[in-house]
Amino acid sequence: MKHFFIDKYSEVKSPIRNLDARAKVIIFFALILLCVTTPPKAFLVFGGYYLILVTILIISRIPFVFILKRTAVAIPFIIMIAAFIPFIEGGAGGSYNLWGVTLYQRGVLILFNVTVKALFGVAAVTLLVSTTPFDELMEGLKKLGVPKVFITIASFMYRYIFVVVDEVMRMKRARDSRNFEGKWIWQAGAIGHMVATLFLRSYERGERVYSAMLSRGYDGEVKSLSEHSISQKDIMLTIFIVSTAILLHLSYVFVKLFAGG
Amino acid sequence: MHHNKAVEIKNLNYKYPDGTMALSGIDLIIEHGETVAILGPNGAGKSTLILHLNGIIRGNGEVKIFGLPVNGRTLKEIRRRVGLVFQDPDDQLFCPTVFEDVAFGPVNMGFTKEEIIAKVNKALASVEMKGFDKRPAHHLSFGQKKRVAIATVLSMEPDMLVLDEPTSNLDPRGKGKIIKILKSFPVTKVVVTHNLDEAAKLCKRAIIMDEGKIVADDATEKILSNELILKKHGLF
Repeated sequence: MKHFFIDKYSEVKSPIRNLDARAKVIIFFALILLCVTTPPKAFLVFGGYYLILVTILIISRIPFVFILKRTAVAIPFIIMIAAFIPFIEGGAGGSYNLWGVTLYQRGVLILFNVTVKALFGVAAVTLLVSTTPFDELMEGLKKLGVPKVFITIASFMYRYIFVVVDEVMRMKRARDSRNFEGKWIWQAGAIGHMVATLFLRSYERGERVYSAMLSRGYDGEVKSLSEHSISQKDIMLTIFIVSTAILLHLSYVFVKLFAGG
Repeated sequence: MHHNKAVEIKNLNYKYPDGTMALSGIDLIIEHGETVAILGPNGAGKSTLILHLNGIIRGNGEVKIFGLPVNGRTLKEIRRRVGLVFQDPDDQLFCPTVFEDVAFGPVNMGFTKEEIIAKVNKALASVEMKGFDKRPAHHLSFGQKKRVAIATVLSMEPDMLVLDEPTSNLDPRGKGKIIKILKSFPVTKVVVTHNLDEAAKLCKRAIIMDEGKIVADDATEKILSNELILKKHGLF
């Protein structure tokens, strides 16, 4: 069956795609960290971060719309958490009156802050995953010192999520072929049975996979060959991007310092 | 070592955790270089028996593989020499890429990087899957998965191949390809199958199992021409 792979565009050739996974992880996480720790009123600085991200996006040749769509996934969460904040009274600053609805400045600022930072984070991670095949990403994280057990769990999850999704689709088809409509409360039981069956099947598969591992000499530790070594060029590029972002982060402080005297 | 038999099983019994007898009183000797088909209806105990051949399951009775009794100390050596291929390739292929799956055995056996790469390339070439090493398993077709699954044990250069339904769910062309590939390996082979045609093509000797017992053991053509016994055990 056809699946939607999270690393769908990871075979698009570009300088970003060829960058070592470690370098990419460091770059994107540094950008996210710097972005979320920037004071909310530093509008220009946020603009700067987005500019860096868009530049990387253009170099990576990933379709713009794809990243936009993926980033939009975060919007419902932002609305759920922060959309009502501007209407809450309080805090310093004034208030605006829009057609009889009062918006408070502090609340608006919080909403802006949450939105800008959340969307940046999601866009950055999407871009990271889109330019890195999953196995390279895992390899990169492992070399950066992420505990092996996390890497193993994530790798297995990624390997078997498609198998499980296939199983769910087959079960759904078989169920719908027997005129299941899924709109009456007494039909909820069928869904419960499906979930239980899926759990049992996954559990049994786990046992079989473990047997297959034992058969090939598994002794409790997943060993692997490390092939990639990070190049001088990758290190330079990482330092360049991260230091640009750090300067951007500090610029706000400097400007305030000089302007404020 | 040459006088040792590939498989020597004496009075093997195995009971499932729920109490049903899966194997009762199995006696089986397989010589070096023999090709043996294990036939039998569903639930006859075929899969349970082959899981004993590399010590995944250890029942009551004596099991010797290449002269080594199956126990904690010999397990590693036995698993290197017995390549067990499971029926569902999604169970056999659990790594992010084909390369890592085929390399899994050799890596666990502690070979150097160059040796491992050479073994992986050789194994993939022998199942006609050269050049697929960077692919994730979920991007392969079912037939390709089946062949890569065989490569994952070939890379350990086993002395005996044990295969659980190597051609199940494949189209005739895929079946033919697997049979051709398997025939090209001159090692001891044990093949579990429902497919009489496949048994005839791959194996000189055939065993019929039913209800946890070996009920027939003879040359494949003799077994296959005995309609009575095939009917009796749901194979015809």
